[in-house]
Amino acid sequence: MKTVYKLSIALGLMAVFGLTVVACSSTKGNYTDVPNDEVAETEFKLEKSGAQLWGETCNRCHIAPSPSDYNDTDWETISLHMRIRANLTEHESKKIEEFLKSAN
Amino acid sequence: MKKLFTIITIFVLGGTLYGQTYNTFEPSKTQFMLRGYGHTGFEYMDSGDETESTFLGSAFAPIFLYKHSDRLMFEAELEFALEGDELETGLEYADVMYVLNKNMTVRAGKFLLPFGTFMERLHPAWINRLPNAPLGYGHDGIAPSSGIGVELRGAFDLGGPKLNYSVYSTNGPRIKDGSEEPEEAGILEFENYEDTNLAKAFGGRIGLLPFSDSSTEIGFSAYSTSGTGEQDSDFEDIGAFLYALDFSLVKQIPGLGGIVDAKAQYNSSNVDTATFIEMHEDGDEEEYSFDNQSNSFYGQVSYRPTMSGSNFVKNLEFVARYSDFNAPEGAEWEEKSKQYAFGLNYWLSWRSVVKLSYQTTETEGGHDGDGITNTDGLFLHWAIGF
Repeated sequence: MKTVYKLSIALGLMAVFGLTVVACSSTKGNYTDVPNDEVAETEFKLEKSGAQLWGETCNRCHIAPSPSDYNDTDWETISLHMRIRANLTEHESKKIEEFLKSAN
Repeated sequence: MKKLFTIITIFVLGGTLYGQTYNTFEPSKTQFMLRGYGHTGFEYMDSGDETESTFLGSAFAPIFLYKHSDRLMFEAELEFALEGDELETGLEYADVMYVLNKNMTVRAGKFLLPFGTFMERLHPAWINRLPNAPLGYGHDGIAPSSGIGVELRGAFDLGGPKLNYSVYSTNGPRIKDGSEEPEEAGILEFENYEDTNLAKAFGGRIGLLPFSDSSTEIGFSAYSTSGTGEQDSDFEDIGAFLYALDFSLVKQIPGLGGIVDAKAQYNSSNVDTATFIEMHEDGDEEEYSFDNQSNSFYGQVSYRPTMSGSNFVKNLEFVARYSDFNAPEGAEWEEKSKQYAFGLNYWLSWRSVVKLSYQTTETEGGHDGDGITNTDGLFLHWAIGF
């Protein structure tokens, strides 16, 4: 196998990854100043509920679990496990965990 | 006597009150959970010259989760399955995980490799919509499933779209040199957990979910190593580069009255050309080599009529899958296979499913010879997650 070919693929991957990290290093979550109530209201409307994220996220691999199948402590463990295993964002896993604990 | 009675009463009631006050049975900070899955079933196979039918012994895969804190966790999965007349056991994974920050987690140990999504996310029996894996996975497959090493992974919220990543280094695969199994010379063996050389494998996956409803994910994975043979052997510098493209779409479509789930993955394996020795029946040896490139693909669509008014129909699922596998020309294991699979599932709960499936596979070459073999199979499996 051509070493140059392998290196170019590896460098390409690293470049994509690096650019992504740089691009994502400044997110809107860092901007805490909300200019006015109208914007705040829009932001609030865009926020997805834990129930919505539960339906969208869990179903990507398996049927979304029934909240009543586990207690709060179990859901904390499962949420942490699934956050890592399914590569979920911290926001997704926390919102889903809150929903599952509120609906069980 | 009255004083004694008063003292005993205070002692008994006081103890009870004390217990009610302080024994609140709050959960401990650390927690241990036992989860997992199991499956059993019946299979009927017809390959023209040979037919067989058998009930399958149950397979049992307990998963141990230990949550030490909100950041630190350990996971392990064992596998128990009846193969032939023996009980096969295995350690699917066992790793420790630590959340470094909201975008990065480190894992170390034996973990499932994010090479595409099938082996890492979709292969458990209660998740996989069909009773078996597509062509190209499992024994003699080209997609690595697990490795021992260290990994960084995480996800970013891009304000609607999401991106997840994983980069890792593992001990890497070992190339079969043909000394023990001449018919498998050139195959990469990923179940090689003791490193036999100084070369490590490096890999990663980037997944992008472009839409805010997370319905679609596209991913690119790569896996590379500069050496697959034992140290100081002729195969020490035989490198390998593998990549995979994966796609997922899961969406409720009101016009269809249910949820459509589409998955696909393409795997490519490119191993440096090496020279192997073929032993003839008369004892003569002959050197040979071949362009060691393999690939496999699967595409699967399933549909659940979740918006039906009937509870029975709601729990049904229709599945169709196509998969193929192409092993290198000139290899002893040269093969071109195609498989079509169709299934009808009934979900007893969100984690228990009865799967009825028909599969037809056309294999040209492979371990069984040079001709074309057609195999039809009927499967009835029952899987449960817990």
